[in-house]
Amino acid sequence: MIFGLEFPPIENLVEWPNLFGPTDSWYGFNKIALINLVALVATAVLFLLAGRRKTLEPVTNAPKGSRNLVESAVGFIRDGIIVETIGPDGLRYLPFLASLFFFILITNIFEVIPFFHMPGNARMAGPAVLALLTWVYFIAVGIKHQGLKYFWNSVAPAGVPKALLPLVVPIELLSTFIVRPFSLAVRLFANMLAGHILLVTFTVLCITLWGASLLLAVLPFSFLMLVGLTGFEIMVAFLQAYIFTILASVYIGSSMHAEH
Amino acid sequence: MLASILVLATDAATTATDLLDQAAGDAKTVKNPILPTVNEMFWAAIFFIALWALMKFVLLPRITKVMDGRTDKVRDDLAAADAAEAERVAKLEQYEAGLAGARAEAVAIIEASRAEGDAERRTQIAAAEAEVAAARAEAAAEIADAKARARSELTGSITDIAVGAAEAVIQKPLDRAAQGRIVEDYVNAAGQN
Repeated sequence: MIFGLEFPPIENLVEWPNLFGPTDSWYGFNKIALINLVALVATAVLFLLAGRRKTLEPVTNAPKGSRNLVESAVGFIRDGIIVETIGPDGLRYLPFLASLFFFILITNIFEVIPFFHMPGNARMAGPAVLALLTWVYFIAVGIKHQGLKYFWNSVAPAGVPKALLPLVVPIELLSTFIVRPFSLAVRLFANMLAGHILLVTFTVLCITLWGASLLLAVLPFSFLMLVGLTGFEIMVAFLQAYIFTILASVYIGSSMHAEH
Repeated sequence: MLASILVLATDAATTATDLLDQAAGDAKTVKNPILPTVNEMFWAAIFFIALWALMKFVLLPRITKVMDGRTDKVRDDLAAADAAEAERVAKLEQYEAGLAGARAEAVAIIEASRAEGDAERRTQIAAAEAEVAAARAEAAAEIADAKARARSELTGSITDIAVGAAEAVIQKPLDRAAQGRIVEDYVNAAGQN
């Protein structure tokens, strides 16, 4: 408690009881799992709405509504991320990267959705899984394109003098295979957790000031901060989805070609 | 004194041991809220992989098919527009070339017509001038004839009158031919004056 403000402990902000399944079980389904499920369903519904025959024909019509939204997002991922970082060869990875983008964006956006107010990625589990899958994916792409030489090409870039290899190889090994997935996961998790804590802080402050007679004058400023930060968190939700996806795309692109 | 210190030390050690035991127990029961939990990882993996599969086989193909179709249509339309533009430019060049030819031909025709007109004009002017000159010469001849005739008639009349008057005065006939020459010389001299 600081100046009469009782801030909840961190575990109260991010840990949720299971909706079904025993506590501490490997299949316990809690609020975070529900957010992940909604992200899956919402993305599927959005794409299915956009892909209805009625909205698809004729092909020459300008896209509207859900179709416009989905086509804009897919076009952004395809042209703004994949073509820019990998090139046209990378378009085959559109399903994986689009899944990453939509899954992260929708789980993030739950930060500002009433009754949820919790970004799915403010828990380490989601980012860790996505980073791990991305890690496996770009290694698999590397092996597919370069064979087992991929591992050596990744840690010993072309043009490095042999005398420097003992120094470069451990650094590259660490940065490519350890730091990449770790930084992907921690960046997403830390940003969303920080935003969540900020919003909770100002919400608690507003609630406390509402009942404090003298400090009531500060309430409008606190409330304005809360509104502003909510808008900021929407931007962060999009930005983090974009950053995760573009980095995954860069890693996949670097696995495709030895010279990268 | 020493006994008191030993008792205090024993109490402190006991308290420290109890605190350590309590801390160890807490560490076993309290979870780190930052570390990922297995159940959340499990569901995140299930739902993401399900989305990935749906995206790959169901959701994206219909969208990308339409987008590719539209891209192809736009590309074809652009190619058709480029072809139409090239055709337009070619036709424009052809039209301009024809226009330039027609213009040159028109200029040539105008120049030829003008030259022909000038020649015709000159011919007609020359003919008119010749005709006028002929008419003028004819008129001059007629005038000269009339003048000669008038002079002759005048000379005759004057001679008749003068000779008649003179014969009446002198009461004798005069040489009409000689008097006629004198009168004619006088008339000619008067005509020259």
